[in-house]
Amino acid sequence: MQTEIKKNDAPNFSRAKILIVDDDPELRMALKLRLRANHYETVSAGDGYSAIALAQKERPNLIILDLGLPVGNGFNVLKRLQENDALSHIPVIVLTARDPQSNELRSLDSGATAFFQKPADNNELLQVIRASLHSASAWGTTPPS
Amino acid sequence: MPDFRKQVLLIEDNPGDADLIRLRLIESRTQLDVSCVNRLSEGLASIESTPPSVVLLDLNLPDSQGSETFRKVLEKAPGVPVVILSGKEDEALAMKAIHQGVQDYLIKADLTSRTLERSLRYAVERQAVLRSLDMSRKQQIEFKNQFLSHVSHELRTPLTCIHQYASLLFDGLSGPISPEQRDHLQTILKSVNQLHAMIRDLLEATRAESGKLRIEPRCLALVELVRQAIAMIRPMALEKRITVELEGDSHAPLVYADPDRVLEVLINLTDNAVKFTPPKGSVTIKLSQQATDPEFTYVTVTDTGRGISPEALPLIFERLYQDPDAVDGNRSGLGLGLYIARELVNLHGGRIWVASQPGESTTFTFNLPIYSLSKLLFPVIAPERRLRESMVLVRVDLKPLASPVRGNWKEVCRECLDLMRRCVYADKDLVLPAMATNGPEDTFYIVASTDMERVNIMTTRIVEQISVLTHLKATGTIRATAREIRFPAEMQDKTLEQQVEQVAERVTELILTDFRTMNDFNTKETNANAN
Repeated sequence: MQTEIKKNDAPNFSRAKILIVDDDPELRMALKLRLRANHYETVSAGDGYSAIALAQKERPNLIILDLGLPVGNGFNVLKRLQENDALSHIPVIVLTARDPQSNELRSLDSGATAFFQKPADNNELLQVIRASLHSASAWGTTPPS
Repeated sequence: MPDFRKQVLLIEDNPGDADLIRLRLIESRTQLDVSCVNRLSEGLASIESTPPSVVLLDLNLPDSQGSETFRKVLEKAPGVPVVILSGKEDEALAMKAIHQGVQDYLIKADLTSRTLERSLRYAVERQAVLRSLDMSRKQQIEFKNQFLSHVSHELRTPLTCIHQYASLLFDGLSGPISPEQRDHLQTILKSVNQLHAMIRDLLEATRAESGKLRIEPRCLALVELVRQAIAMIRPMALEKRITVELEGDSHAPLVYADPDRVLEVLINLTDNAVKFTPPKGSVTIKLSQQATDPEFTYVTVTDTGRGISPEALPLIFERLYQDPDAVDGNRSGLGLGLYIARELVNLHGGRIWVASQPGESTTFTFNLPIYSLSKLLFPVIAPERRLRESMVLVRVDLKPLASPVRGNWKEVCRECLDLMRRCVYADKDLVLPAMATNGPEDTFYIVASTDMERVNIMTTRIVEQISVLTHLKATGTIRATAREIRFPAEMQDKTLEQQVEQVAERVTELILTDFRTMNDFNTKETNANAN
C-alpha cells in the first residue's frame, strides 16, 4: 500500500485512486469495472457517512459522487469535504440522475469540479476524470502522504 | 353561515339611474354597502384600492364606451364578478360580454329590487365556484408536473444501469464478444439513447407547461448552428442516402438567441425531415431575410418526404400529437418534439409554422430576432426620449489561473454574467449579451450611463461582488477597465433613433478594437501556461 501511494506522488495518473459514491450497488460495480479497465484503482461507498470516512482513510485522488444518498446527501458530503483541509483539494465529479437545471450550479458552488447527468457518456466522463487529475496535480495541491 | 356584508361598486354616470338603483337595492333589504362613482377611471382606482364583492357597470361613461368599458374592468379585476346595467337591449353585445367573463347583462327598464338582488347574489356565487374550479385545475396541473418530473428522475436510474452494463459488454470489458453479440448490444444501446431522449423531452415539455423553460439569448451567427446541426444529422441521413444541405446566405445577420436551444430546434426539425423522407431524398436548410420583416431572420427546413395531410397540419405542434400514418417501422417517440420547438421559438419572440404538399414535400419555417445593439441600448441610453449626456464602456475580464476543467470555467463565467447584471442599474446600464465565440465567455462589456469620474464606484462594486464567488477564487482572477464613449460631433441634427444607432456603432467599434488586443493577450497567456 505504501508503495502505491508513493507512486501516486509521481505524475502517473493511470494508477490514481478513485472513490465511487453511489447508493446503487450495481451502478457502483459497473463504474468500478469501467474505471479498473482504464487502470484506475477504486474504492466505493454507498452513503454519505461512509463516503467521508473512506475519503479520510483512503485519501483518493478523485471522488465520483451521487447526489441522492442515504445518511447525508451529496451536498452534505461536498460541504464536509470542503470544510476538511486534508480533503478539500480532492476533485469531485458529481454524477447524478437529478436535473442539471436545479443542481449543476449548486454542485459547482459547493465545490464540485464537474457535473454529469446519468446516464453519462463514458468517454466524456473518463476525459474529465483525466483532466481533473491532471489539473489537481499540476497545481501541486496533492498533499504529501 | 354568517352573511358578510357585500360591497357593491356602482359605476354609473347618470345621477337619476344611480339613485334608482340605490333605491332598488335598499328595497331588497339585503345587507349591501353601495358606493357609486361616475367615471370609469374612478371605478378602476376604487377596484384597485378596495376590491368590491361585485361591480355594477354602466357601459356608456364619460371616459369609456361600450365593450371597451367591461374589457377594462375585467382586466383590472379578473376575480371580481361584474354585472352590466344597460339602457338598451343588445343581444350581440350581451353575448360578447358573457363570453369574456361578465356574469350578467341587465336592462335598466326591467329592473325590480328582487331581480337585481338575485342577479347580484348569483353573480357572486358563480364567480366563487369558478374561482375554486380554476384553483383545483391549477393544482392538478401542478401535481401532474411534479409527478412527471419525479417519474423521469426515477426512470433514469435503471436506465443508467442498463446503459452501463450494456456498454461494458459492448466495449469487451467483460470478455470477448462475437460480431453478432456486438450487433445486438448496439441495438440495446441505441434504444437506451432513444429512451433517454424521451425522458428529456418529457421533462422539457413539463417545464414548458409550467412556464419554467428558460433561454439565455446572446449574439450569435445562426449559420454556425445550422452547420453543427447538419453535421450531427448527416451520418443518420447518409444511411438512408438522403442529402442534407445548407443553402444560400452565409452572410446572414447575427441573431439574438440561445445557441443551445436554437440547436435543439434545428436538430429536431432536421431529424424529423430525415425520418419522414424516403431514401435518396433531400433535406435543405435555408437562411433568408424578408423585406417586409426586417427585424427577423428566417430559417426553413424543407424535405422531399411524403408531406402532411391538411387535416394534420393544424395539430402538428400540439403536445403528444402523432401523425397516424407515421408507421414506417420507425418508433415515433412521444410526440413532444415539435411542441417543445414551438415553445422555444416563442420564448425567443419568434414564430414557427409549417406548409406541406402531400406526397411531395414539407417545409418548416421559424424566425428569430436579428441582434440589434441599438434596440437593446435604446431604453437604457435614451429614456424618456432624451439621449444621456455621458456614457462609459466597461470591460470586465475574467482570467483562469490554470487550464480549467470542462464545464467548470464556463459555469463560473455564466454565473459572473448573472451577478454582473445584478450589480448594475437595470434602467441605466446594460450588460451586453455574450458574443458567440468558441470557448467560454470570459470578457464582458457594460454600457453604463455615468461618467469617468463615477464609473469607479460601479467597477469596484462589480469586482468586489464577483471576487467573493467561491470557485472564481479558486480558479481565476478579475480585472475591470473603463473607456469613455465619445459621441461624434455632428449628432445634434439627427433624430433620436439615428443618435442611438451612432452610439451603438461607436460601442461596437470600441469592442472590436478591444477584442483584437484581447486576443493577443489570450494567446500569450496560453503559451505561458503551456511552458
